[in-house]
Amino acid sequence: MTHIMVPVKLVPDLVEELEIAESGTALDMAWLRLIINEFDDHAIEQAILLKERSGGEVTVIAPDQEGMDDVLFTAAAKGADRIIKLIGDFEEGTNNHALARAFANAAKEVGPDLILTGVQGNDDLDGSVGPYLAEYLGMAYVGYVAGLSLEGDKAIVQKEYPGGLIAEMEVTLPAVLGIQAAEEPPRYVAVSKVRQMMKEASIDEADAGDLDTSGGLEINSMYLPEAAERAEMLEGDEEEIATKLVEIFKEIGVM
Amino acid sequence: MPERAHYWEIPHVWFGVEIEPFVIVYTIMFASALIMLYRFYRVASVWWKVGRAERRWDKLHIRLWNFIKYGIVQTKVLKDRIPGTMHVIIAWAYFIFFLGTALATIDDHWFKFLEGNVLVAYKFILDIFTIIFFVGAGMAIYRRYFQKPKRLTLDPGFTRTLVMITVIVIGGLLTESFRLAVDQPAMAWSSPAGWVVAQLWIAMGASDTTLINWHLGVWLFHLVTVAGTIISLPVGTLLHGLTGPLNMFFSKLDRPFGELAPIALTADGGQIYTSKLSDLSWKQLLDGDACTECGRCQDACPAFAAGTPLNPKELILGIRDALRSDAAAIIAAAVMGGNGDAPALVGEKIEEEVLWSCTTCGACVGVCPVLIEHVDTIVDMRRHLVIEGAVDAELQTALSNLGRYGNSFGKSDRMRTRWAKGVEPKIKDAGREEVEYLWFVGDYASYSPTLSDITLKTAAVFQKTELDFGILYKGENHSGNDVRRVGEEGLFEMLMEKNLKALSRSKFGAIVTTDPHTYNTLKHEYPSNGNGEWKVLHYSELLDQMIASGQLKFSKKLGYKVTYHDPCYLGRYNGIYDAPRRVIEATGCEIVEMPRNRDQGFCCGAGGGRIWMEEGEIEQRPSESRINEAVSLDGVDTFIVACPKDVTMYADAVKTTGQEDQIVVKDLIELVHEAL
Repeated sequence: MTHIMVPVKLVPDLVEELEIAESGTALDMAWLRLIINEFDDHAIEQAILLKERSGGEVTVIAPDQEGMDDVLFTAAAKGADRIIKLIGDFEEGTNNHALARAFANAAKEVGPDLILTGVQGNDDLDGSVGPYLAEYLGMAYVGYVAGLSLEGDKAIVQKEYPGGLIAEMEVTLPAVLGIQAAEEPPRYVAVSKVRQMMKEASIDEADAGDLDTSGGLEINSMYLPEAAERAEMLEGDEEEIATKLVEIFKEIGVM
Repeated sequence: MPERAHYWEIPHVWFGVEIEPFVIVYTIMFASALIMLYRFYRVASVWWKVGRAERRWDKLHIRLWNFIKYGIVQTKVLKDRIPGTMHVIIAWAYFIFFLGTALATIDDHWFKFLEGNVLVAYKFILDIFTIIFFVGAGMAIYRRYFQKPKRLTLDPGFTRTLVMITVIVIGGLLTESFRLAVDQPAMAWSSPAGWVVAQLWIAMGASDTTLINWHLGVWLFHLVTVAGTIISLPVGTLLHGLTGPLNMFFSKLDRPFGELAPIALTADGGQIYTSKLSDLSWKQLLDGDACTECGRCQDACPAFAAGTPLNPKELILGIRDALRSDAAAIIAAAVMGGNGDAPALVGEKIEEEVLWSCTTCGACVGVCPVLIEHVDTIVDMRRHLVIEGAVDAELQTALSNLGRYGNSFGKSDRMRTRWAKGVEPKIKDAGREEVEYLWFVGDYASYSPTLSDITLKTAAVFQKTELDFGILYKGENHSGNDVRRVGEEGLFEMLMEKNLKALSRSKFGAIVTTDPHTYNTLKHEYPSNGNGEWKVLHYSELLDQMIASGQLKFSKKLGYKVTYHDPCYLGRYNGIYDAPRRVIEATGCEIVEMPRNRDQGFCCGAGGGRIWMEEGEIEQRPSESRINEAVSLDGVDTFIVACPKDVTMYADAVKTTGQEDQIVVKDLIELVHEAL
């Protein structure tokens, strides 16, 4: 019986316009709406697909952020066996180093054979969670995974490379996989199913302890993309464009 | 004075035993009736043995009235003029024959009254209906064997029925003619049909003995064919004569057409999602057996016309056929205890694609002569698909957006009133100050960039006419009408709860909306606010009232020749046909009706959540068929709609059919704005 752990997090929902906080070094949380990291959603789906295919147990674990309960109950409605919320000071903002350390501590208690998590998130300023988690747990890591099957204590994974290349590789478990896409798009869960879960399922809580952000970045300033001057469109055939381009490069002194 | 001769020349001694003819007749008829009732019980008992309970026994007086109106007078059958007349002729001829026979029985045994003028009238009426019957039978033969409309099921069962009912009438007519040829009574003219046939026997010069023998033979044959028909009633196509009226009697009375029932519950409160026969109620199973296979729903269905896999007639017959094939196994399994492996209905016998093709326009329900409730059953089955997560990718995106942002566009709720930015004076926030009219703007009018011009014109008309109105701003969420019709009941409830919260915080006299879908659900499906029912108005109704009261005055007569499209949820579901037409006429436009207008209005194809789903393979979009219909009208260059989704749907259809130079789509408010 494979025990799969899926660490997930919430990221800024880009339907809202992002605002910079007064400090100038972070997003303004007051204007932020959080949504589950799309890649983490795929990791949950992949875990459920594996469970449906070859049995096992799925534990979804997440930091205590506003709106996380809904995400966890939705995961339970999809088929997660256990949902855990890490209690800690996440609201003030943290980084992926700290998050990965908290997930690693929890993993020691959960004892998974396989960890699936989103390969990236839109707020990954200090690198993505997966590799750190693998490092802290001393497990192997493969990222950009878009499908896998389990064979005994091994996982056969399909890893995507740029340009449409796919490599198939074998990983000995336990391991951490960064999911690029599940084999099927995340399924729809009817609202009444989630609401029923809210009545039936319970969220386990685990103490995240003090958050250790060491190793991360120090942000000096954060700003919205600034409107630049209008781009100049080069016209003509390939020869002419290349000639003009060389002239421009010379003009601005990069050639 | 002439009296009715009972059992004329029918022997009283059979095979040496004295037996009164009435004893023979009543024995055969009684036995046939018993066999018929037993067979009918076998058909009917399946409904409640397989189907779940549903309460349809209340308001008996209304039910009785429906039975008379739809079953006896057959008002809905008559809606389709020629085939309807054919059916009513045949049915009424038989009602009269039955009544005539019953009166003869009374006259024979209890109360003698068929004499003198009463008898003349009695004979005359029965004979006239005999002639009328042959007209009906002729129409049926022409329709079934020469005209052969696509919508009919050309099954031999229908031929057998037509032959049987015709042979019965011929038998009766011949019996009468032999008697008249022998007796040649002075009042023979009061049986014109029989008398004409009798002339034949008289002209042949057949002897009285011969005619009396023939009379006896045909009389016996007539008796046997009637008995045979009665016995075969529950197993042939005449079953609809029993199930049709029952279906009318048990049609839904607990809610308006525009209100869907919530998900049915088991005894211990669990929700019943319809995936197999036993999840359907006995009434939904009765629907299947009541279907006459007339195919009117098929002709009216926009999904069928578009070439999607949905045929409402086949859907209902699919339930019937599944019941015929699986009922015995389901009942046996139930007797053994437990549900066994009940055969699946949804996904097996009724394809998912069939269910998703429905626009819930209600045209099928509107035309069904026996009041079958197709849409309710389709939504019940969709609820099962939704709970299983079996929705297509586009629909999933829309539903997820609705759950997260309260709109299907996947935009922030803060953007809901972006269109109102710059409107001067600023539109009141009904959550903060009391207004007379709360304008529930709706998703399409709020978010669709192509509609913002129309939404602004609506605001301008309201402001220029000094209407005291406000909007809910961020507090408004999608009303949920089509979410509910998709089958996502939980999401519908969630959206409704959010809207109710915003509405309960606001003070207003009435709600007004431009969207017929929003109108329908707010009016019928949202609970009242505790201080009596909310008054909900469609903007066409409000404008109509304002014109009547003089609050809305026009300075121009536009003089356009236009046609008007009835939105399903305004027209068919809520009966509002005249208000928008009066408003159009008040702006000085002339309306030319499309052939499919008012309750026959043809759906644009967007309803029931179709606007969110993948289109699938179709031959012609309903909206394109509609635009072609409008373009073929003489001199019409403007297509008026009264629904935001219609603007989108038909503007697209005008482009895809390449008729931009023929017709332009306009919202009702654009005419009003222009004529102000």
